[in-house]
Amino acid sequence: MELRPAFQIPAIIKSLSDVVLPAVDPANKLAQEQGQLVVAMLHLIAQRLPLQYRYDRHELSRYLALADALASAGAAIPEAADALHALAASAAEGRLLMAAAGTEPAALEAANLALRERVGAVVTAAAATAQDVALKAINAAVMAHTQEELLRERAWIALQGWEGPASGLPAIETLIGS
Amino acid sequence: MAATVDKNRPSPEWIAELRRRFPCETEIDRVLTRKLERRAGPPYAPVTLAQLQAGTESLLKTQLVEPFTVRDCRWLSGGASKLQMAFTLDWSQPGVGRVSTPLVLRMEPSEAITETSRLREFQIIKAMEGVVPVPPTYWIDAYGEHLPYPAIVYGFAEGVTKPSASSSNVSGVGTFMPPEIRETLGQQFVDHLAITHSFDWRQADLGAYDRPAIGTQALEWALNHWERVWEEDAHEDVPLMRLTMAWLRRNMPPVDHVSVVHGDYRLGNFLYTEQDLKISAWLDWELAYLGDRHEDLSWCAKRPFGHLAEDGKTFLIGGFLPMQAFVARYEKASGLKVDPKRMQYYDIFNNYKAVAIVLATGYRAPRNGKTHQDVLVSWITGISYSLLDELRTQMAQTAELL
Repeated sequence: MELRPAFQIPAIIKSLSDVVLPAVDPANKLAQEQGQLVVAMLHLIAQRLPLQYRYDRHELSRYLALADALASAGAAIPEAADALHALAASAAEGRLLMAAAGTEPAALEAANLALRERVGAVVTAAAATAQDVALKAINAAVMAHTQEELLRERAWIALQGWEGPASGLPAIETLIGS
Repeated sequence: MAATVDKNRPSPEWIAELRRRFPCETEIDRVLTRKLERRAGPPYAPVTLAQLQAGTESLLKTQLVEPFTVRDCRWLSGGASKLQMAFTLDWSQPGVGRVSTPLVLRMEPSEAITETSRLREFQIIKAMEGVVPVPPTYWIDAYGEHLPYPAIVYGFAEGVTKPSASSSNVSGVGTFMPPEIRETLGQQFVDHLAITHSFDWRQADLGAYDRPAIGTQALEWALNHWERVWEEDAHEDVPLMRLTMAWLRRNMPPVDHVSVVHGDYRLGNFLYTEQDLKISAWLDWELAYLGDRHEDLSWCAKRPFGHLAEDGKTFLIGGFLPMQAFVARYEKASGLKVDPKRMQYYDIFNNYKAVAIVLATGYRAPRNGKTHQDVLVSWITGISYSLLDELRTQMAQTAELL
């Protein structure tokens, strides 16, 4: 799926900076100011988006460390017992999530890219074969995968309206799990 | 795991390998190679009207002897590919005298969603002047010697691309043609295609076009062209595209009559005058080449470039006429047959080509900030997935995949 923020945001910034903002009425100070802020905000988003997941994971690790420190330091304070108990429950959930949060989004994207490229190379190489049965099996696998993938991709960009309101596309949330 | 080639900074070795793997027409090879060689350079920088005016004046100084004035420069919108500036030229037109002529400068950005040759565009329109309606074409800066990028100066052609009261999406998709204009415009729509395909291009000045032999040479060049574009520009590989190209290469139909192929012949790419319902100009010849007429025939018959008749069942090609009437009129006007099997083949070819343009180049050009409207080009990328789904359906219907 090519339409992802890392691709879209720079295009939006360029359009705003090169075309739209220079055409905004210089006398409209409110529009001028907010236009500049929109571009600045988009620059910030574009710069930080690749780090967002790592940032959240790092923050969780620091809060887990703080929770441990508070549990130790607060053990002698009866008045804090209920709050510390609740904190311990949340920290336990956090530790489970922390253990599962091992792969960064960029690594997933890179893995998908590499697999796509290598699947493509297999399809091209197999096309040269005279092994009809094997070739048909490869083609069938690719076609089945493609059907599912395209449903997902079309649902992802349904809001663009290329297929109209009666497209019958399912909501993307129903296709990619919880 | 990481992809192996950095397409944003192509190496000379990779460029050479692509040129070797995908031999195509000489001028197409030149523009694609130029695109790759410039890719690692700076993004497209906004050009001012003053810069375009100065560049236009510089070009005209090499073409005009008498004094002239370029004035009233202003931007035109429309199209996903090139920049357009309207202006008025006060000049001494040969054989006419002092006149003020409204003109349009059409210039490439740094990289376009369709990377094409201005020289080919200029030559084919000149060749088709007096054959079918085309916009008046005046001068060319083929290599960007006067303007920031290669450009052509066109005259204005009068007319509209759709009924004034109609609405449509980007590039004319979704236009409705009212019943009262269908017959008159539809006849011209078919006849101009027939004339284009039966035109004797051998006598024309088409030096930027390689001349293919009867057989599969034109198609091989075309397949190499679009597979090369896919290889050069695609970010995410798509297995269906690999599978489709393998099928296209295994099933190449020979060309029985080498025609001028417009390359984007469809509703939205002609102007007509509403007062007399005459097509005044066929536009967007940049994808033209010498090849098989069935590419144009199947392209203009695609669903997005037409609509259903009032019965809710009959599809009207271009919004004008059903397939049976379209084929009958075309065959009579051109003397050329329409082969259903080749229509099916080129329908698949056209979808491959369209996906290469909108998904591969439609990603790569704005990814590197190379166009004057990156936000529009990246938006259009979204249509790729509907096209791919249609391609998937077509491929599922081909006998060897069942």
